[in-house]
Amino acid sequence: MTKTVLILSMLLTSLGTAAANLPDGDEIARRINARDEGLSVARDLTMRMTDRRGKSRTRETRGFRKYYGEDKRTVIFYLSPKNVKDTAFLTWDYADPERDDDQWLYLPAMRKVRRISASDRGDYFLGTDLTYEDIKLETRVSIRDYHRKTKGEDEVDGHPCYLLESTPVDAKTARELGYGKVEQCVDKEIWMTRRARFWDTKGKPLKTAYFRDIRKVQGIWTQHRIEVENHKTGHKTLFLFSHVDYQTLVSDKWFTRDALRRGL
Amino acid sequence: MTPAFSCLLLCGLLSAPALADEADISNFLNGHWGIGSNQGGTRFFELTWQPEARWRFDNGGRLTGITRLRWQTVAGMRPTDMERDSYSTASRPILTSDTSELELRELYYERGMGDWYLTLGKQQVVWGKTDGLKVLDVVDPQSFRKFILEDFDQSRIPLWTLNAEYAIPDWMGGDWTLQLLWIPDQSYHALPKPGATFAFHSPRLVPRPPPGVGVRLNAPKRPDRLIRDSDIGLRLSGFVAGWDLSLNYLYQYDNRPALYQRPVSGPLPILEITPKYHRTHVIGGSFSRAFGDWVIRGEMGYFSNHYFLDSTPGADQGLAQSAELSYVLGMDWSGLANTFISAQLFQSWLPHYHAGITRPRLDTSLTLLLRRAFWNDTLTAELLWIANTRDGDGLLRPKLRYEWRDNLETWIGMDLFYGDRSGLYGQFDDNDRVTINVRYGF
Repeated sequence: MTKTVLILSMLLTSLGTAAANLPDGDEIARRINARDEGLSVARDLTMRMTDRRGKSRTRETRGFRKYYGEDKRTVIFYLSPKNVKDTAFLTWDYADPERDDDQWLYLPAMRKVRRISASDRGDYFLGTDLTYEDIKLETRVSIRDYHRKTKGEDEVDGHPCYLLESTPVDAKTARELGYGKVEQCVDKEIWMTRRARFWDTKGKPLKTAYFRDIRKVQGIWTQHRIEVENHKTGHKTLFLFSHVDYQTLVSDKWFTRDALRRGL
Repeated sequence: MTPAFSCLLLCGLLSAPALADEADISNFLNGHWGIGSNQGGTRFFELTWQPEARWRFDNGGRLTGITRLRWQTVAGMRPTDMERDSYSTASRPILTSDTSELELRELYYERGMGDWYLTLGKQQVVWGKTDGLKVLDVVDPQSFRKFILEDFDQSRIPLWTLNAEYAIPDWMGGDWTLQLLWIPDQSYHALPKPGATFAFHSPRLVPRPPPGVGVRLNAPKRPDRLIRDSDIGLRLSGFVAGWDLSLNYLYQYDNRPALYQRPVSGPLPILEITPKYHRTHVIGGSFSRAFGDWVIRGEMGYFSNHYFLDSTPGADQGLAQSAELSYVLGMDWSGLANTFISAQLFQSWLPHYHAGITRPRLDTSLTLLLRRAFWNDTLTAELLWIANTRDGDGLLRPKLRYEWRDNLETWIGMDLFYGDRSGLYGQFDDNDRVTINVRYGF
C-alpha cells in the first residue's frame, strides 16, 4: 500500500512538474496574438458547405484585411455563385473592448448598404460553420472573452502542440459566442492553432475545426485550408485560401461603405 | 428606344466588347406563378430572363449592362395593362408582343479617378434606410405593376443619370462622400391601367366620379425639355462616431402625377382626368446606428409641393396642394441566433390640410418583419406585416425560401390584403394569392 501511494505520488509530482514547465494559457494566447499577420492582406477564399446528406454549395470570395494600429478592418466580396454575387460584408474591429465593432452588409437585391448589429457574433457566418466572431478573429484569440489554461500537449498531423482550454468569462459571454468551452491545439513552433474543438453552452460537443496546409507566404505563416464539422448538424465547411498577398498594400478605399456598394 | 436598338443592346450585352480586358456574364431565369387564394385559378404566370454583363478595362473603368425580357400571360398583368406614357422615350420598355416586353434595365460606365467616382448611364440610385416603404428612395420612379409586392430592385425604374461622388475622408470627425446627380431622364411612376389587376381604385389615389358619370383619362402632360426639366440631387453621407448619416436634397418632378379633373357636360356626362407632373424640392436626411443587439435607423423627407385629391365641391380641378413631411423610425433586433426582427413606424403629415382632402392629415403605417434562417441558411422563413393604422387595412406576406443548389432557389409565399376596400391596401383585398417562385442563375 505504502509503495502504491509512493508511486502515485511520484507520478503526480512528475505530471505536475511537466504541466509547470508548459507555458500558461495566457502566455500561449499572447504568443498566438503576437504572430506577424502582415499589415494588410489580399486573398481569395472558397467556402464549400456540405450538409449531412452530402449536398454541397460553394461560395467564392475575394477579401482584404488591414490593420490600423491595433484596430482592424476586413471586407469580403462574394464572386460566385450568381445568386449571391456582389454581396459584401465590411467590419471595423476595434481593439478597445468597450467599443462595439461596426459592421455593414451589402445585399445586391436591396441595393443598399445596411448597418448590422455586431453583437450577433455567435451567429454562423453566411451559412458556414464558423461564426462571425471566428471569421473576425482569423488566427487570433479573444483575450477578454475567455479564461485560459494549459491542459497539456498533443499532436496534430505530426505537429506537436500545446492544448489550450478556454472557457467564457461568464454565462452572458458564453451565450453570445455560442460556446461553453473551446480547446485549441496550438503549434509549439509557429503558435498557430492546428485543431480547435468547440462545446456548446450545455457542454455538449459542437464542432471541430482543423487548420491545415499551413505554409509561409512572403515570410508569414499562413493557413490555406480549414475543415470544420458541426457534430450536431452533420454540416461541414471547407475553407480554402489562395492568392494570398501580404506585400501589395491594400488601399484604404476598400474598407468603405461606398466600396461595399460598388463591389470589386 | 426603338425595338431594333433594344435588340442590338441585348445582343451587345451577350457578347463582350473586344476592348474589354475581362468580362463577367451572368444570366437569371425567374418563374413566378400566382394562384388566387380565394377562388383559385392562375392570377399571373410570369417568366423572366435577365442577362447581365460587366466588362473591366485596363484603366480601371467598368461597363455594366442589364437587360430584362419578361413574358406574362394572364390578362390584367400583361405589359399592355400598364400605362406607358410615364416613361421617357429613352427608358420605355419595348413591347415585343401583347404578352412580352424587353427592357434595357441598366447600362452604365463607372470609373474612379482620385477622390472622384463617376457613374454615367442608365442606373439605379437608391437613397434612404427603410424597408418596404419609401421616403427618400424617390430618386428613381417605380413601376406599380404589382403594387408594392415586387422587389424594389425589379420595380424601380432606372434612369439615365450622371452620378458623381467625391470622397472627403477625415472631415468633421468622420469619412464623408458627396454625391451629385444630374438626371435628364423624364420618366415617372408607371401605373396600371384601369381594369388591370393592381389598378388603383382607392378614393385616396384616384377620383371617383358620381354615379352615371363616365371617365376619360387623357395622356399625361409631361415635361419634355431635356436640360430645363432634368432633376438634380445632392447627398452628403458619412460615418461619424458610430453613426451612419446622410443629408439629402433633390429637385425633381414629383414621380406621382397630379390628377386634374374637369367635368365635360353632354348627353353622357364625363369626368376628364389629365395627369400632370409638378416640380418639388425634397430635403431630408437619414441615420442608422448599432447599439448592442439593436440597430436603430430612420429617415425623413420634406416635399415642398405635392398634390392630393380634394373632394370639396368647387375644389380647383379636384386637387389640393400641400407640402408633405414623411418620416420613418425603424428598429432591428438580432439578439437571437439566426433570427432577425425589424419594426418600423412610418408617418406622413400634411401641413396645409383641409377636410376635403381624401387622405388623412396624419397617415400612419407600421411594418413588422420576422425572419429566421435554418439549416445553414438554406431555408429561410419570413413574415412581413404592413398595416395602416388610420384605415385599419394592411398586407401580410409569409414566405418560405429554400436554396436547392448554388444557383437554384425557390420560395413559396402568400400576399394577403385585408381591410376596408377604400384603403391603400384594402383596395386589393380581391387579389390575395399564393405565389411560387423559382430562380436559377447561370
